[in-house]
Amino acid sequence: MPVLHVFVKQVPDISTLEYDPSTLAPRFEKATPRLGEADLVAFEAAIRIKESWGGEVVVLSAGDGVNELVLREALAMGADRCFYVSDQRLAGADSWVTANVLSRLSRKVGKADLLLCGEASTDSGNHQLGPRLSEALNIPCVTHVVGIELSEGLVRVRRILEDRTETFETGSPLIATASLELASPRLPSLLMIKAASKKPIIKVNLAELGLDEGLLEPLVERLSVRVFKTARRNIVLEGGPLECAEKLVESLVKEGVFKA
Amino acid sequence: MHVLILARELDELLELRAVADQIGALEVETLVPKAMTNGEDLASLGLRRAYFLEGFDDISPDGLKKIVIDLVGKVEPSLVLGPSKKVFRELFARVAHNLASPCLTDCTSLEFSGGRLVVERPFLGGGYVERLAVKKLPAFLTIQMTGRRPKIRERNGPEKVELSKPSSEDFSLRRVSVERVERGGADLAKARIVVSVGRGFKRREDLKLAEELAQLLGADLACSRPLASDLGWMPEEKHVGLSGKWISPQLYIAIGISGQVQHMVGVRNSRIIVAVNNDTSAPIHREADYSVPLDLYQFIPALITVLREKGVRAT
Ligand SMILES: Cc1cc2nc3c(=O)[nH]c(=O)nc-3n(C[C@H](O)[C@H](O)[C@H](O)COP(=O)(O)OP(=O)(O)OC[C@H]3O[C@@H](n4cnc5c(N)ncnc54)[C@H](O)[C@@H]3O)c2cc1C
Repeated sequence: MPVLHVFVKQVPDISTLEYDPSTLAPRFEKATPRLGEADLVAFEAAIRIKESWGGEVVVLSAGDGVNELVLREALAMGADRCFYVSDQRLAGADSWVTANVLSRLSRKVGKADLLLCGEASTDSGNHQLGPRLSEALNIPCVTHVVGIELSEGLVRVRRILEDRTETFETGSPLIATASLELASPRLPSLLMIKAASKKPIIKVNLAELGLDEGLLEPLVERLSVRVFKTARRNIVLEGGPLECAEKLVESLVKEGVFKA
Repeated sequence: MHVLILARELDELLELRAVADQIGALEVETLVPKAMTNGEDLASLGLRRAYFLEGFDDISPDGLKKIVIDLVGKVEPSLVLGPSKKVFRELFARVAHNLASPCLTDCTSLEFSGGRLVVERPFLGGGYVERLAVKKLPAFLTIQMTGRRPKIRERNGPEKVELSKPSSEDFSLRRVSVERVERGGADLAKARIVVSVGRGFKRREDLKLAEELAQLLGADLACSRPLASDLGWMPEEKHVGLSGKWISPQLYIAIGISGQVQHMVGVRNSRIIVAVNNDTSAPIHREADYSVPLDLYQFIPALITVLREKGVRAT
């Protein structure tokens, strides 16, 4: 029966995130933490595999200030166990450091047949975790997956690129990064949320992973983050369809993009 | 500064060559598919050497990774540039990890500042911009394609080197099938007017409305991500936004699109944005120059009628 490792990241909820009007920097301290969109998709795919094949779904996470309540959500959706690292040293972690920590954590937890993560995180959107884990663990990787099929000893995955669709086959293990279209994450029922409170969440100390200094040293440094402001005219056209159409056409003629 | 450019298409190579110009690259080499060999186009790009790879798209991800690691070892670039496309993001992250190197994706600008390479890229779905300093070279950067063009130099063709496809690929991951998607029309990046469709359209057949409008205006058709990726009503390469195309037309007409930040980041450089959306609280109205708070099924036919009656054309 397959063992599935799913990597999730705690991110700020973008829809409610505010910025400081003087510095234009996001107010992370006021943001609600949640699991990344694509991570939840990866996670849903893992649970579906478990539902038809049995096995185990293990959730793995790393960061600074990881909130167990957020991880509980994954357990409520159907994961069996959760392991995480939360350490101040990971506050400035880049993709290199994150992949080093998570690959080591995955190894420590045990062998997996399928390792899943989102195609990109909601905050950084680096698209790098899956491919970097692939190198760190020496396991093949397919990114942007929209379909996963398991059969005896074989995994078949499909992905959509800009100009083509590809299907790959391999034995296990495999790393797949989930495209948003792979599955729609379920909402956990009250019963599942209750059951999840008994499932184990295990905090692993960063030191226990035995990572060399070089593997924890970020290769990029964030200098600043500022909100992107656009100035638009926000002219609201009023009236019925024909009236609005006439006003719009008239304005666009004046703007010089249309000519009568 | 020694730069290695990886590209699959001529447009990508041209744009990345322009980026190399911007940061004052002294020596530029490139790895491109063999199909680009008819060097006419490459001759005036000031490239020192061009490596041509046979069967670029057929090589397995592991095979391609190996070829690029070998090439980086040979060329010893400070910077490796590629387009922000799915294959390149994956490839760059893998090669970078293998070489304990930094990789940054979807970069929108790069410059040297205080002796360090400083990069800007979208953050938090595109609502924010992050500025990052690269602490180690070589750095692997995928660049968001926005239509930059390099300066043309004297024709002085690159030295050409052919790389062959690995003869045996003993990797466990096998590509068992590939379906190519028809390329629909011109490159969106160059479009003057774009008519863009979202989930406000109830049925695929209804897109005819937008097509008719686009035809009347000589506009190109684009869409939000769900219309391509979820519903498959539009080709993947027509979706604009964070994970799709970044465009800068004179006029962007968004029809039945809510205007989430991941969509808007791809169209912000449009000169004029028109939003047709009957939900007055949809975020698109805050980022539009002209808002039409009406049902698209009533407004678009009316717009087509007015354009026809007045004989209005795009300039
Ligand atoms: C990591 C990540 C990357 C993403 N990348 C992209 C990307 O590159 N591009 C992208 O587009 N999205 C992207 N998304 C998705 C994005 O967040 C939105 O979900 C998506 O853009 C919504 O598409 P939509 O506006 O067509 O649909 P919806 O959000 O469902 O909006 C439909 C709109 O149509 C309006 N409508 C309905 N009926 C009518 C009618 N009769 N007349 C007029 N209006 C009507 C509604 O009021 C609504 O506002 C990404 C998301 C994530 C998490």
